Amino acid sequence: MEAVLYPVNDFGPVMKGLAIGGLGIFHVFTAHFAIGGGMLLCYFQWLAMTGRSKSARVFLDGYFRYLVLISFVTGALTGVAMWFTSIQVSPVTIGLMVDEFHWLWAVEWTFFCLEVVAGYAAFKYGPQLTDRARLALLALYSFAAWMSLFWINGILSFQLTPGAWLESHSLWDAFLNPTFLPSLFYRTIAALVVAALVAMVLINLAPGFSRNDREHLVHRAAWLMSPMILMPILGIWFVAAMPPDSREWIMGGSIAMTLMLNIAVGASALVGGYALIGLIRQKLFINGATATVLCVLAFAATGGGEFVREGVRKPYTMRELLYSNAVRPEQVAALRQHGLTEIDPYPLRGEDRLPKIDGQPHVHLRTGAIVFRQQCSVCHTTAGVNALPGLTKGWDAEMERQNFAKLQHLKPFMPPFAGTPTELESLVQFVEWWKQGRPDTWPDTAAAPQEYAERLARIRHWLDEAGTRPALVRTVPTDAKGGR
Amino acid sequence: MDAPFPFGLPLPTGFYLTMYLVTLVIHVVFMNYVLAGTAALAAAYLRRGNRGAGESTFILKEWMPFMLSGAITAGVAPLLFLQILYKREYYTANLLLFNRWMAILPVLIVGFYALYLLKSRWLTRRAGWLAAALAVVPILCVAFTGYSWTENHLLSVRSPAFWGEFYATRAQVYYDPQLLPRLLVWAVGSVPSLVLVLAWQHWYRGTGHPGSLARAAGIGLALTCGAAAWYYVATDDATRGAFVSPLAAPYFASACLGLLLQAVGWGWVARSQSLDGRKLLVPSVGLALTVGGMTVCREAVRIAALGPERFEALFPGHAEAFGKGGLFVFLSFFAVNAALIVLVFWLVRHHSVANTVQKRDPHGT
Repeated sequence: MEAVLYPVNDFGPVMKGLAIGGLGIFHVFTAHFAIGGGMLLCYFQWLAMTGRSKSARVFLDGYFRYLVLISFVTGALTGVAMWFTSIQVSPVTIGLMVDEFHWLWAVEWTFFCLEVVAGYAAFKYGPQLTDRARLALLALYSFAAWMSLFWINGILSFQLTPGAWLESHSLWDAFLNPTFLPSLFYRTIAALVVAALVAMVLINLAPGFSRNDREHLVHRAAWLMSPMILMPILGIWFVAAMPPDSREWIMGGSIAMTLMLNIAVGASALVGGYALIGLIRQKLFINGATATVLCVLAFAATGGGEFVREGVRKPYTMRELLYSNAVRPEQVAALRQHGLTEIDPYPLRGEDRLPKIDGQPHVHLRTGAIVFRQQCSVCHTTAGVNALPGLTKGWDAEMERQNFAKLQHLKPFMPPFAGTPTELESLVQFVEWWKQGRPDTWPDTAAAPQEYAERLARIRHWLDEAGTRPALVRTVPTDAKGGR
Repeated sequence: MDAPFPFGLPLPTGFYLTMYLVTLVIHVVFMNYVLAGTAALAAAYLRRGNRGAGESTFILKEWMPFMLSGAITAGVAPLLFLQILYKREYYTANLLLFNRWMAILPVLIVGFYALYLLKSRWLTRRAGWLAAALAVVPILCVAFTGYSWTENHLLSVRSPAFWGEFYATRAQVYYDPQLLPRLLVWAVGSVPSLVLVLAWQHWYRGTGHPGSLARAAGIGLALTCGAAAWYYVATDDATRGAFVSPLAAPYFASACLGLLLQAVGWGWVARSQSLDGRKLLVPSVGLALTVGGMTVCREAVRIAALGPERFEALFPGHAEAFGKGGLFVFLSFFAVNAALIVLVFWLVRHHSVANTVQKRDPHGT
């Protein structure tokens, strides 16, 4: 079969998802701040130039604009870092995304250029410009920053809800997918909230403000958080637009997803409650320490939300197009016949550390290690986070055979096993070898040919029983109906 | 591929290659400014610490963070087209170099913020050695990034069999005999670019020493020719042949013509001792010809290294990507945002408070 195989790197005890997730959360939080920060600067500039707030001008010329500058550069660099990390984690996924959306990414790039030029001009020349010109620059910066969110949001939300694109293959069906709008509005509000909270920290830290000035600025900034009242509706809209099986994960189907959702919802509720009731309705003051705590909560909400957004796509990285392990759904049937280990051009690293049979590396452990590398290592480790030997602790080899063969039914967020019975048996041997502390010797799995053939036949039977489709599908193609 | 670029290539391949090269040239202008500019800053600080600085050093210090941002931002577009054109090659090289490759990101962040520290008032109150040490950080960061890109590029054009062997070794550093001369051509080639942009900045501000700038450009051009000669000697016949292949020969000729024009133009500037806009146009046209021509030659070298079979195997992927929508949306937003960028410059130029006061009260009463 035709397949482009890439070299796979070992992230050690760190799950690859954690590497990209951690960077993603930092990037999203920073980028949200850069977007919301631009809007806040526009608002404060308007307050200053219309005579509504003298202290707004002092604040504008203070540290906040530096922070916005730092964040939009860090946001841009971590954006490139996301790209590079995506290549490290799943080159096939990012390759497919680039093929489909390259012109929209190119559109986003034109807004990056505008953002950088307008942002620098406002930062460097703003204090020397007329009020109207400065407002125009800040508005251009904010517009460009928000538009970059607009475009990337469509691309990212497509990964979960490709919607009508699955039939039409139209770019606009892909971009304007079912979760595009709730996600866009939600992120816009999140950007405003992050910017307002950071501003509140700085209002308290900046020298030269009286208590009255600080109160005045805090209450002005707090108004930017008022759209948080819409967050529950947008959240429900997003959840309603999700595929039903993904919804199941967050509603208790996957405890990690449910927990992360609760962190996101709980942290948002705390921030929102404080903002809407305390800051806006009761006009309370907020000191630097409390504002910092709310920033941390907002970060936790971002972290939880991004974890859920990434996690609910399982077992896909691009829904119904590509499984997390870079196997396409339509490839599974062929892979069950031919496997991929034979055509993988990359040798197994550390092969010499495997037990030997007749002086050669143990052939089944070697195959099992390659199967693990190709199909499991994107989400699992051998001895770290989400380690396969740990997850299968207490299972005997026969349970592993059956469970791996029927993986998508055992855990519906797992993709179907995409290999031959021999490859599955090799993976079982590899996991067992790890579970037993990687001994120096390991029996030849195929030493008793009759028993080995029977074992492979059982695996084949279980694989056939499980079928090649995922457990929960949007639509079952006609040819697959009744096939299980 | 018996015709000059992009003729003779299938439409999708020729189109994406053109987009890649055009956006790469934009990136190269920023990159050259940053590469040579950070070196110049480091040299100035090593010589004088933080005691007073020339006009050019002041301009470089002021503009360098923006130019680095510009280089990074301008680099996004060619990176995008690169992934369509040479997906497997580029991704594989990234994966093989792994942590070594990913290191360019924190390194660039460090370099960027070092440039800000260099601009800060805080540094003027510190010892000269500290300023000099800090000034070396950006050039080290930028040089490391340039080295890594060259390494990545050279590894990406190796054969799949070589990739397999490289993967087995767990090495994260790739060395190729072409690496250093190739990198040196880039590095010293950045000097004439920097000097030209700097000359235009001086022209705008009404400052600058034409003789010094012309001398710097001349040294840069001579070093570029020297580095190119070393590259010629160090490289193989296939690479040398790529420059004079039908695909690249006219561009190679235009690059050489560009070098000549730059030399003539800078000679004119030096003799007249003035940074007149018309005089600067001559080296500007020369530089455009050289950078544009060499960018196409660089691509011809890559295509030659891949070989016709591997290169042609990429065509169906380009054709498939070409069928996706969005090109006209891109072109529309490209035009709109280019106009908005012009608007930003116009606002800064014409709407300063000083300008407005002068207009309202031209006699300053």
